[in-house]
Amino acid sequence: MIESLFISLQLALVTTVILLFLALPLAYVLAFKTFKGRTVLEVIVALPLVLPPTVLGYFVLLMIAPNTGLGRVWQSVFDSSLAFSFSGMVIASVLYSLPFAVQPMQQSLRAIPDSWLEMARTQSLSLKQTLIQVMLPAARGGVLVAAALSFAHTMGEFGAVLMVGGSIPGETKVASIALFEFVEMQQQSEAWMLALILLGVSFVMLSVVYTLNRQGLNPGIFK
Amino acid sequence: MKNRIQIKALIGALDLQAEVSFSNEIIVISGENGAGKTTLLRALAGLEVAQGQLMFDGQVWLDSSADFILPTQMRHVGCVWPDAALLPWSTVEKNILLGADQVDDNWLGLLAERLEVTALMQRKPHMLSTGEAQRVALARAIYRKPSVLLLDEPFSAQAPAIRQRLRTVLKAIQAELEIPVIMVSHDREDAEMLAAQHWRMREGRLLTQAVEISVDRKLQA
Repeated sequence: MIESLFISLQLALVTTVILLFLALPLAYVLAFKTFKGRTVLEVIVALPLVLPPTVLGYFVLLMIAPNTGLGRVWQSVFDSSLAFSFSGMVIASVLYSLPFAVQPMQQSLRAIPDSWLEMARTQSLSLKQTLIQVMLPAARGGVLVAAALSFAHTMGEFGAVLMVGGSIPGETKVASIALFEFVEMQQQSEAWMLALILLGVSFVMLSVVYTLNRQGLNPGIFK
Repeated sequence: MKNRIQIKALIGALDLQAEVSFSNEIIVISGENGAGKTTLLRALAGLEVAQGQLMFDGQVWLDSSADFILPTQMRHVGCVWPDAALLPWSTVEKNILLGADQVDDNWLGLLAERLEVTALMQRKPHMLSTGEAQRVALARAIYRKPSVLLLDEPFSAQAPAIRQRLRTVLKAIQAELEIPVIMVSHDREDAEMLAAQHWRMREGRLLTQAVEISVDRKLQA
């Protein structure tokens, strides 16, 4: 049980860190840029919200299978298979939690007052300087919410990681899969304990999200 | 004349038209609300799309015939808008230094003293009055020694006594930096005491008119 919890935590941490870097440019583009294909990009980002996790997991599995380009490159570089591995699960998790990271960031970037962005332009700040000195501090609430949601969502993943990772003990058996197996094997006390821990993690993470959201609406966050 | 404005822009319901040449001097623009004063300043800063030509200190900022637009970031302007737009998580000092390539402590200290913000330097913007925030925005606009100052009602939140002192300071800074200062103001005294030229705007059209009274004589008075 501890082992599967540790794998879940590892997966959630790695996924969250990758998502913070991946989601920020996507959120910036979706918040400020108008271009052909914007709707398609928005739909792709939001797709995991409605797609059954097993469907997403199935497509990821097809994408990283040893006979695909990505699978072959991975095999030659790392001498191991991407399918049914922790790294494969990370790919699935990143895609599965993408909207949970992009959308809060996108909303908080959109909420930055125009006067601040115009001031950055008239003060001759480059895009990079504007991002670091104006946008990220202004949108930090959204970034933290994105991190908390990504982490919590990954901790609770089941279908996608089961498809991509299988359930290899000590490698890809995450807490949610372990819980399913405890129930199947009638190990009620273990199932009860694990469910309680996952419930606690979700409760704490959502508390963080709601606290940040409330602070985000209050200008006192910067006092 | 080092500076030339010859622009047209259709922004919302406003048909903006301005054609004027001027030296590096203080210009005060007045006019009714909605006449296009702020829009003109925004077009000069590159925050509104305009057609025509803009030249400041011999450098071309806009030349529609050559399809050339100098981005706002490269115009090196100093702006004060009705919204001070101070970053709430930064101290006053960091707000003033925003966008500066390097810190010149002497210049920063001198500017803070002249604009009466020295005691505020380590405060956060929420601890400032509207007038103090406006002076900090003015300091931020001037600190980088811009090639032109675009000021939209920069003294509107100041008490009469400090407003008078700020006029003297602005006049001195303009003389030191030798830059054009284009300032929107509803205050007749600003025009009388500061303006080398007084422009009026009516329904988007810029109307120029020389100020007959010597600025220096007025300031001395």
